[in-house]
Amino acid sequence: MAVNRVIATIVLFPRNMGVLLLRAYRAVISPLYGDVCRYYPSCSAYTLGAVQEHGLVIGSALGARRLARCHPWAEGGVDDVPLKRTRRYRVTSFGFVVAPSHGKG
Amino acid sequence: MDLLGIILWPLKWAVELLLVAFHWLFSNMGLGYNDGITWVLSIVGLVIVVRAALIPIFVRQIKSQRKMLEVAPQLKKIQDKYKGKKDQFSRESMSRETMELYKRTGTNPLSSCLPLLLQMPIFFALFSVLNDAQHLKAGVGPLDVDRAQSFGNASLFGQAPLSESFASQWTLMMAGNPYSVAVMVIAAVMVVLMTASQFITQLQIVSKNMSPETKASPMFKQQRIMLYLLPLVFAFSGVAFPLGVMFYWLTSNIWTMVQQFIVIRNMPTPGSEAAKAREERLARKGKLVAKDGDIIIVEEPKKPAQRQQPVGKNRSKKQPGPKK
Repeated sequence: MAVNRVIATIVLFPRNMGVLLLRAYRAVISPLYGDVCRYYPSCSAYTLGAVQEHGLVIGSALGARRLARCHPWAEGGVDDVPLKRTRRYRVTSFGFVVAPSHGKG
Repeated sequence: MDLLGIILWPLKWAVELLLVAFHWLFSNMGLGYNDGITWVLSIVGLVIVVRAALIPIFVRQIKSQRKMLEVAPQLKKIQDKYKGKKDQFSRESMSRETMELYKRTGTNPLSSCLPLLLQMPIFFALFSVLNDAQHLKAGVGPLDVDRAQSFGNASLFGQAPLSESFASQWTLMMAGNPYSVAVMVIAAVMVVLMTASQFITQLQIVSKNMSPETKASPMFKQQRIMLYLLPLVFAFSGVAFPLGVMFYWLTSNIWTMVQQFIVIRNMPTPGSEAAKAREERLARKGKLVAKDGDIIIVEEPKKPAQRQQPVGKNRSKKQPGPKK
């Protein structure tokens, strides 16, 4: 239903702003550092994933926690974003989170 | 106080403490209390303390790079497994497996972004201290009004104030007001020096201290981009930042260059150009000890190709695609 799509767009707006910001960071600033992260995915990729999965507030908090964990004495390794049990949205190739195309909000 | 102010407060305090300590030292050693050079040297002292504090992190990084030699065969295995596979999924699983290997063997050669991030707040703290001093305000701690005024008014060669930037002088010039050519010239020279030191640092690494494997990796390409992007960043900041802040950055760059030179000379990456040079140097002096044997191991003739994984009859029939 159209109403649901509008609601979904509004609900998803903050996290999509976050996605836009993180994409810009990863395009412009990340290359300046080169490959330095001790984790996979790297901190910014992790934060991007967390914001897509959990929204701007929780996602940012998860990202901040990861940044705090990432220091020269950390073990590093593979560290994925915790996934939600039910995943309601779809992620576009750019990274925006949208309601699934079959109209369910 | 805003949030940024609260975060920067302890750093500003530390920056002021170091500046004041070095300023006390140099002015008591005979340099003029209000001279620009005294304050520039204080900034240089600040850089030296900060960079010296970061040395342990750097050494640790180098040590784990050396340890990587031991896992080189396993790393090669992973790289061979994904050779020629350029799709996103394969690249992802390759990074995953590599990271897992690093973790398992404790050989992670990456140092996280903390050392880089750590310098940024210090940089901003200095910027903020200098900015306050320019408005003749006392700092948050050790920098009292008297010293803040001295810092804010200090100028190099008596005509290039440390708190002025190329941009500020440009604005004055455009408005037809009196401006300082010296500030613009010094700022321009510093941008050139920063770019030069950056190039030399990178060139040393690329031409002498990289193993052939690294040169073939995508990471190498990224570093190349950085090589050409950074001069732009320098030029931009050279225009916008006051001279005092630029001195911090320039000194830091020069430190990096010298540090890199020492590392390349004394503990080069095994298998690189510099490692061979070092081996020759030591051999000439008759000092090539057995401990350096690890370097020789790398030079061993390559073993015949990786053993093919045994594939069951069923599977080999199901996958007609090109086998690697």
